[in-house]
Amino acid sequence: MSAIRVADLEKSYGTLKAVDGVSFDVARGETLGLLGPNGAGKSTTIAMVVGALRPDRGSVTVDGETDPTRPSLRARIGVAPQSLALYEELTAEENLAFFGRLYGLSGARLRARVEWALAFAGLADRRGDRVRNYSGGMQRRLNLVCGLIHDPPVLLMDEPTVGVDPQSRNAIFESIEALKREGRTIVYTTHYMEEAERLCDRVAILDRGKILALDTVEGLLRAHGGSPTVEIVFAGDSAEPRRPDLAAFGGDWDGPRWRVRHARPNDVLQRAMSGGDAFSHVSIERPSLESVFLTLTGRTLRD
Amino acid sequence: MKAVWTIAMKDLKLLGRNRAAFFWVLGFPILIALFFGSISGGGGKSAPLPVAIADLDRTDYSRAIVERLLASDALRASVAPLDSARTLVRKGDLVGYIALHPGTGKSFGFGGDSASGIEIGVDPRRTAEKEYLRGLVTAATFETMRGSFSSGYGKRQIEENLASLRADTAIAPGAKARSQEFYRSLETFLAALESSGVGGGSPAAKPAGGGPNIRVVEVAEEDTGPRTAFEVTFPSSIAWALIGVCMSFAISIVSERVSGTFLRLRLAPVSRAQVLAGKGLACFLASMFSVTALLAIGVVLFRVRVSNPAMLAAAIVCAAFCFTGVMMLVSTLGRTHQSVSGAGWAIMLVMSMTGGGMIPLIAMPAWMQSISNFSLVKWAVLSVEGAVWRGFGWGEMLPVLAVPIAAGLVGIALGTRALQASDR
Repeated sequence: MSAIRVADLEKSYGTLKAVDGVSFDVARGETLGLLGPNGAGKSTTIAMVVGALRPDRGSVTVDGETDPTRPSLRARIGVAPQSLALYEELTAEENLAFFGRLYGLSGARLRARVEWALAFAGLADRRGDRVRNYSGGMQRRLNLVCGLIHDPPVLLMDEPTVGVDPQSRNAIFESIEALKREGRTIVYTTHYMEEAERLCDRVAILDRGKILALDTVEGLLRAHGGSPTVEIVFAGDSAEPRRPDLAAFGGDWDGPRWRVRHARPNDVLQRAMSGGDAFSHVSIERPSLESVFLTLTGRTLRD
Repeated sequence: MKAVWTIAMKDLKLLGRNRAAFFWVLGFPILIALFFGSISGGGGKSAPLPVAIADLDRTDYSRAIVERLLASDALRASVAPLDSARTLVRKGDLVGYIALHPGTGKSFGFGGDSASGIEIGVDPRRTAEKEYLRGLVTAATFETMRGSFSSGYGKRQIEENLASLRADTAIAPGAKARSQEFYRSLETFLAALESSGVGGGSPAAKPAGGGPNIRVVEVAEEDTGPRTAFEVTFPSSIAWALIGVCMSFAISIVSERVSGTFLRLRLAPVSRAQVLAGKGLACFLASMFSVTALLAIGVVLFRVRVSNPAMLAAAIVCAAFCFTGVMMLVSTLGRTHQSVSGAGWAIMLVMSMTGGGMIPLIAMPAWMQSISNFSLVKWAVLSVEGAVWRGFGWGEMLPVLAVPIAAGLVGIALGTRALQASDR
């Protein structure tokens, strides 16, 4: 049985269809990424999965239950919202204790979970400081662990790394990888392809409220990523007219720089080296989720 | 209930840490109460005491005492018949009255039986004013007596009195001897005053009996009006306390919705009703605290009287409940701080202006009092005034309390409904 099953979800705001027939399953222990640009419908989908928004159509099933607003189900779901959902005038410890109490924790169990969360977020030594005095990265980490205080088996993270420095971002990645190792089911939204590639077992490409493709990263690359790109910069004054043997591969020349997309990049390299010319630069670029998105939508993720 | 309490305690903690909000909740209302109380005459500590003087003796001597009292800077005195004076004191319009009974002139204010001499009527709770008045009357009597001796009236009167005593065979020899001794010592005392040129003389030189024959009569005030300006301004300033709390929490709800913490609350395993109840409970408790603290300051430091503590407690509870409902409704007037704050303050200022937050209800013209009926501030202030100085009975108070309760219920129902609808 899937941990999460979403079937044909729809949500409109006036004439704008924010989510348009979104369906996916998430297996237990799996991390599913929802990758798409801003406005693709990722956060709206998450909001409907956790019951914060009522869908116009479609259904959501989490842990076999179809009403995500039921308190018994909510106690098994953790959410890290995109916006910082923290009380800035409270300390990290007070924030965690407050949310813990809302989830029914008390006494020794609450204290233990607060200690765990502070350590997990790397905030143990700043526990008594008010959140408004934290850096953006520290606030993001706290925002994440506030959704984990009740030890939920299902996690929904809505762009948890927005606006953080590379160091904090890496710390958040490591935290999420640790959660994955613990076997939690995670839905992770992002518009950074590197995050989806690094963290997600499968990725759904969303655009304009629709899922355009859903597969493993490798599967998506195979299906929609196109061929790898070989780039060679010939040393000296080497140029296209001197290598007519490469014309069969096509590609683009820019002085001594030659770029060509080919399904078998090793064949291209071997042919280029066979001429005996020296290279000042050689690289093979694998297709990325960026190129998958470009192929599927004709736009880049940043558009 | 645990979740509701948890949310409420969190909100109160946040309010306590927000100095600006705390100022509007408590500091500003206190300043309003002090400012308007002070410019309206304050507690009257240094102001002249309003008194009436009834001259029943109608002698030159009594008239001289009346003149001195009328000329005193410490008194705002007027002459009135004794019955009127008593009535005015009973109604609280005057601090007290001074009656100069027949025989005052003959005895110089020192002798005579309990029905003659000088009478001061004052509310028994006004202990400070009572002693102050006694001192002023004593001083006026001594001054008059000295003046009468200088003018020859006193000496003549003593001689007349002694002659009259000697001729009176109906008086017992013992009483006659004591009266003669009194007049002789009085003569000696007045002679000493005359030679020293100071008022009052030394205690040793005072005539037998120790001082003027002044008796104090207790005249209980009927509590039909405010005794000091602070009794008006402190109840009025609760409007600002309630508005401060109401706006703080209304803005806190929209802040939570904007920042995302409200979403996190709603995603917790608690019902939407519990979340809103937690917010409402925090607002209710903060309102109660704010109003109670404000009135406590008024009672302890500014002598604001509470005529009926149980009624005041009921008034505070109802006012807090009413503005909890208003808060719920105001929080739905927009989706941003600016829209909620702008719309909320606009409504609150109009309610305060027309409801007694700026112009006290007691000072409003009739047409404005009619308009004030539409302001919830009016009913909150009126209920507190009813328990503080208006002397409401429960029959008068219950209809006044019904308005804020009804408004609170409507506000909570509409606000909750609107909040729920806006989240879909």
